[in-house]
Amino acid sequence: MKINYKYLLILACGLMTLSACDKLLEFEPGDVILAEDALKTPEDLQRLLNSNYDVLANLYDGRVQVLSELLTDNLSFPEDNNDYAAVYGRQTNFFTSTTNGVYSDFYRAIYRCNTVLESFDFIDGLSESEQKRIEAEARFIRALCHWSLVKLYAQPYNNTPNNSHLGIVLRLEASQEPLSRNTVAEVYDAIIDDLLFAHSNLPIENGFYASRKSAAGYLAHVYFLMNELPNANFYASEVINSMEFTLDNDLDRFEQDNISSETVFGIVSFSNDFRNEGFSNNYRSDIGTPVLSMSESVFTTFSLNPSDLRNEWIENNNGTYYTTRFNGANYFNIPLVHLTGLHLLRAEALATEGIDLDVAIADVNAIRTRAFGEGINQLPSDASAEDIIEAAREEMFKETICEGVWIDYLKRRGTLGEDIIIRGAPYDCPGMALQFPNGETSVSGFQLNPEGGCN
Amino acid sequence: MRTKIFLVGACMLMCISSFVQAQTVKGIVSDENNLVLPGASVLADGGAKGVSTDMNGSYSLNLSPGEHTLEFSFIGYQKQSKKVVLTAGQTLELNISMQPDAVFIDDVVVVGYGVQRKKDVTGNIATVDAKKITALPTPSFEAALQGQAAGVQVTQGSGLAGSASTIRVRGTASVSAGGDPLYVVDGIPITQDYFIRGNGGAMNNNPLATLNPNDIESVEILKDASATAIYGSRGANGVILITTKRGAKKKGLSIDFTSRVGISTPASLPNMTNTEEYLQLRQEAWENDGGTGYVWLPNYTTADDDAETRALAYREAMGRDIDWVDRTIGTGVKQMYSVGLRKGGEKYALYAGLSYDDNESYLIGNGYERISGRINFDYTINKWLKAMVSSSLSRGTNSRIDAAWSGGLGDAMSNALPFYPVRYDETVLDEDGNVLHPEDEYFIWRDEFGGAKNPVGYRESFKSWKNIENRSVNNVRLLINPIKNLNIVASGGFDWMFLREEIDEAPIPTVRDFSQSFLNVNYILNWNYSLTANYDWDLLEDHKFGFLAGTEFQRSDSYGYSEEVTDEIPTPQRNGNPSQFSFLSYFGRANYTYKDRYLVQATARVDGSSRFGRNNRYGFFPSVSAGWIVSEENFMKDSKTISFLKVKASYGLTGNANIPDYARFGTYSAADNGILYGNENILFPLQLANPNLQWETSRVVDASVEVGLWKDRVTFELGVYNKLSQDVLMNVNVSPSTGFTNYWDNVAEILNRGVEFSIKSRNLVGKFEWTTEFNLARNYNELVDIGNYTPDAVSGGTNDSRVIVGKPIGSFYLVEFSHVDQANGLPVYLDLNGNETYDYDNAIRKYVGDGLPDFIGGITNSFRYKNWDMQALAIFSVGAKIFDSSAKRQLGVVSSWNMRTDKFDRWRQPGDVAEFPILTLDETKYGLDEGFPWWNTSLFVYDASYFRLRNIALGYTFQNLKVKNMTFNNLRLAVNVTNVFTLTNFPGLDPEVARDFENAQDRNLSPNVTYLTPPQERSYNFTLSFAF
Repeated sequence: MKINYKYLLILACGLMTLSACDKLLEFEPGDVILAEDALKTPEDLQRLLNSNYDVLANLYDGRVQVLSELLTDNLSFPEDNNDYAAVYGRQTNFFTSTTNGVYSDFYRAIYRCNTVLESFDFIDGLSESEQKRIEAEARFIRALCHWSLVKLYAQPYNNTPNNSHLGIVLRLEASQEPLSRNTVAEVYDAIIDDLLFAHSNLPIENGFYASRKSAAGYLAHVYFLMNELPNANFYASEVINSMEFTLDNDLDRFEQDNISSETVFGIVSFSNDFRNEGFSNNYRSDIGTPVLSMSESVFTTFSLNPSDLRNEWIENNNGTYYTTRFNGANYFNIPLVHLTGLHLLRAEALATEGIDLDVAIADVNAIRTRAFGEGINQLPSDASAEDIIEAAREEMFKETICEGVWIDYLKRRGTLGEDIIIRGAPYDCPGMALQFPNGETSVSGFQLNPEGGCN
Repeated sequence: MRTKIFLVGACMLMCISSFVQAQTVKGIVSDENNLVLPGASVLADGGAKGVSTDMNGSYSLNLSPGEHTLEFSFIGYQKQSKKVVLTAGQTLELNISMQPDAVFIDDVVVVGYGVQRKKDVTGNIATVDAKKITALPTPSFEAALQGQAAGVQVTQGSGLAGSASTIRVRGTASVSAGGDPLYVVDGIPITQDYFIRGNGGAMNNNPLATLNPNDIESVEILKDASATAIYGSRGANGVILITTKRGAKKKGLSIDFTSRVGISTPASLPNMTNTEEYLQLRQEAWENDGGTGYVWLPNYTTADDDAETRALAYREAMGRDIDWVDRTIGTGVKQMYSVGLRKGGEKYALYAGLSYDDNESYLIGNGYERISGRINFDYTINKWLKAMVSSSLSRGTNSRIDAAWSGGLGDAMSNALPFYPVRYDETVLDEDGNVLHPEDEYFIWRDEFGGAKNPVGYRESFKSWKNIENRSVNNVRLLINPIKNLNIVASGGFDWMFLREEIDEAPIPTVRDFSQSFLNVNYILNWNYSLTANYDWDLLEDHKFGFLAGTEFQRSDSYGYSEEVTDEIPTPQRNGNPSQFSFLSYFGRANYTYKDRYLVQATARVDGSSRFGRNNRYGFFPSVSAGWIVSEENFMKDSKTISFLKVKASYGLTGNANIPDYARFGTYSAADNGILYGNENILFPLQLANPNLQWETSRVVDASVEVGLWKDRVTFELGVYNKLSQDVLMNVNVSPSTGFTNYWDNVAEILNRGVEFSIKSRNLVGKFEWTTEFNLARNYNELVDIGNYTPDAVSGGTNDSRVIVGKPIGSFYLVEFSHVDQANGLPVYLDLNGNETYDYDNAIRKYVGDGLPDFIGGITNSFRYKNWDMQALAIFSVGAKIFDSSAKRQLGVVSSWNMRTDKFDRWRQPGDVAEFPILTLDETKYGLDEGFPWWNTSLFVYDASYFRLRNIALGYTFQNLKVKNMTFNNLRLAVNVTNVFTLTNFPGLDPEVARDFENAQDRNLSPNVTYLTPPQERSYNFTLSFAF
């Protein structure tokens, strides 16, 4: 019997050993960093900031621009893609996965921007100037995201007198609180606030990341849609007059291995990351049948003037019309704010204001010279404001075809009282604002957009 | 014990046989299944004379002329008395069939970390013995539990070979965490991940498929908290204890052999339209939509083609009629051979099993082959030390075929239109005379998502797919008995699972001119150590105590890697770090029995889990229970009617921690995650932290009564329970504007409340025997609370099942269909206020039914006449609804899907009363969005009540068959048919459905949703078994 107790003792020891080990229950996920260890150094923060550009690149690689373009009458009915058909038909619902994906991605970037903005206290060795720069970049990106969202998921600015109509959820903190939608006025206030801060604090020179002129370019566009034309003119002029950017000699702004000289802010794409797939996969017509084809009216508009070099952008393939803008390259850089757009924006703003018409005419003619050749199809120096506006819009329409810009211009004109009818429905019929994702309704109280009403 | 009686009997027999007597009673003693019982005692006239049956169950007793009373007994069986009158010189043959004692004093059941006398059990435990598990061929052993235990809902998997059943013990109590019971094999909680390979090919991996049913001795299903709380944080959804066969000491050598061959056919067939019917429907739709001329045909023409082109294609189509269903199904052949060897010496006992099972399904190209071996070896080292080794090794090879949404029969029921040829009939040239498609090339069509399709082409040429799973479950136990009544068990277990998926894809004409292959490997290492001490203390004669204390540690490491080869260029991918979890537990149990009839038990377990943070790492799971064996009381002891009566009740807490390993952590990508922007590294958050995450906890109250009547000829058990699950884990959809889409949180509260009843009655005894076993359970399930969340907070994937407060888990959340408007043939829906509308709108989705049954049950009838036996198992389910999610296309808008002939009942002219609306190719006519023909309405929610004759078997047993020098004991020949018939009003394929699921949450939320799911098989089998 003696030996039995010895065994008992050993077993008891074994039992003790087991029980002493809370460590046995500590497993941490591999291949990732725990949140509490992730942000320690300025480099960590810079990498987190860079991830926001990464999100932007995944959104503005054509994905977002395609959705905007689908709301115009520039494209023909997208037969082979149900989600595109839903956007085109102004019938998105909260199950439309393509629009849901875009929505989530914008907020992913906003969360990360907010995280950047709330992390400065935990980072060792960050200089004040670096902090300012990072803060400005984060707010710049946050503004871009909020702006894109409010344009897609709400009725346009000025659609109600005080902009008291519902916009989107404004996220200015990295919080998990479910929030309800802010008004369009509140959203635009926040966007302007962020962009003004960015404009004051972004560096003059910042590689292909956001610079002071990037913020100015966006301010010009945002103010233009708000119909605050002096401000739009002011910031457009700041960019144009800086002489940092020049109009591209050729018509191709989507360049490979080279950022177009007129790109004020854009997405860069390399042979290893293809940050252009949203365009290439939908429009590219030289390697197969593209998902999206252009409408006949676009083809007609482009082929009106045979000397317009941009005619080549739209090709007729037995009655189906494709764009060639994205052919020929597997990867290319994407301009989001460019000098061409700012010239034309300023031209319309000045002409509408009735001031500096010579500047406005020069703006339009600069673009026409490139499109038609020296001296051809120029606006005369005594062109009326109306003529300038018409010409500026015509050039804007052509220059930005497929760039996802035109719908904003149409909606703006609608809010100014023009009778804007797009494929038989008013610019602000309910379905023109995309539906929010189902996930927003997982907590009670969120107000969805009204659906349909456009057909 | 048996052996001892046998030896005594044998001695007596030898003594007796030395006399020469003229009057003899002889015969064979067998058990309820007609298997011979060696060692049974046969006593004449109160013990004046007696023998034991020999190895072949035979006895022979010489008696004087006149009247005698013979008493037959065997441990675990009811005594039987027979009066015989012998005349001089008579030899009387008297065969006896013994019936098991329902509540026998020494009958034991396996409970957590030990065994208990069945009589003393105060928890709710159902036992299913080995014979029932091997009685019918199933894709996997757990399917055989169907209909065997009250309150255990087993939903058979599909007709795919090796497919998993879903088991829910007393309803569904979880939302996002795994809702399956915990499976424990010989003391080891085994790896049971259904989603290791997602739902590739429309099938979830079945982690139980590699377990060999022939190795199983018994299965215990622990249902209430008193039984499951000893498994603490993992007991909330019930525990299934599997005990494998072992040898017995001093038993000599015995060998069992079983072989079964059979064929598999589908239990039901879809009624797809043929070419003529389909084109008729399509043409009518086209004309209803205002089309003129012939309708356009998918993959041939478009709506924009001119009339002549359309007509040409139409006429060509009319000339062809392919039954795609017939091209994907056939007759599967099944064969199973199993040998079990038992040998017992003075110090050792051995069980060794070897089995081969090739189980083809009726889907052409699909089969599950399993080879498995097991050795269970017990060795008594000395008086106080014994070692027990259990080891199994098996290899399951699943020859996969795409099914449901992924292809195969699923294609045949959806996108394979009957006018598509299998191969080109003749060479097709382009305008310039170049060969586009040579004759005999597979015709490839595109489904609506652009997928290249042709189930025959894929099966025969384009795709070969194999999943190979190696599994080894091992366990070494040391039993130490240092002092009397103290037993210490030290156990170490290792469960190894290695899954290798190989997919080879050949070039497909017009799709891909290169080959590609995919290799996916997952392996899981699962260690388990436990140490328990058990002390039985008999204080006085009337006071008996039992104590158990123990500790356990389990750890699981899960690894994976994959390799993709495209056009001979390999891209390997290896995740260096495993996904890991561990549990560290301490537990105890105390039993007290007073006067053998008052029973009290308390258990407690403290569980620590790596899945929860320090705040909530340890959970405490206690239970108390009590029982009173009323029939032992003096006032009832002599009752002629009530032979056994026990009342018992329990209360306890159990938990569920079956969530992903790292759900609690907030994480960021690695700094070198390989993602760049502008060729610079990025770093980003992946998952939100929830340091407060904790187990879901179920509070279970249970009460039941066990009754035996007329010497236990009828026994029944009636129980009630109330199970409230709180802090139920949900992977909620959070507002995407937070920057995340999902978040694990303890949110819901779920109630399961029910009644269980089971009865066993020996209706007829004697020459013709008839026994009926019946069980019935009613469960009420309600989602009590989900905080501030809405029904869309979690979903059953694509299955449109949701969480709605006040309704059962996994309610169907659809637009309610009212009727077809007689005037215009349009579908009419009901909005949230019950008003009629033509507008199909997601905002008017509502609860339209659920897949949970009101009642489930099973009936087994067994008959025996002489050497013939027959068993019939029927199962039923009442009150569940089924959502036929594929019918919305097969019976909805006319599209590129084939339709079912049910669709003929459609509206054609004003005044028509029809089941289905006017035919159309235009989904907007039904109020659906353009391009979105997914018509999710209650029209396709059907009553899924059914009664199914699951199995019928007829057997003949030769008790002792002598062939030359060999004696075969209990040689049995049997035939059986599974899924003989099903009575149901469900118009679809199979009212019993467990489709492929996307994740554990979908598995909980979407019972009874079918989507092109292959129906179960009907199999015809012949079985031969014997022992020697």
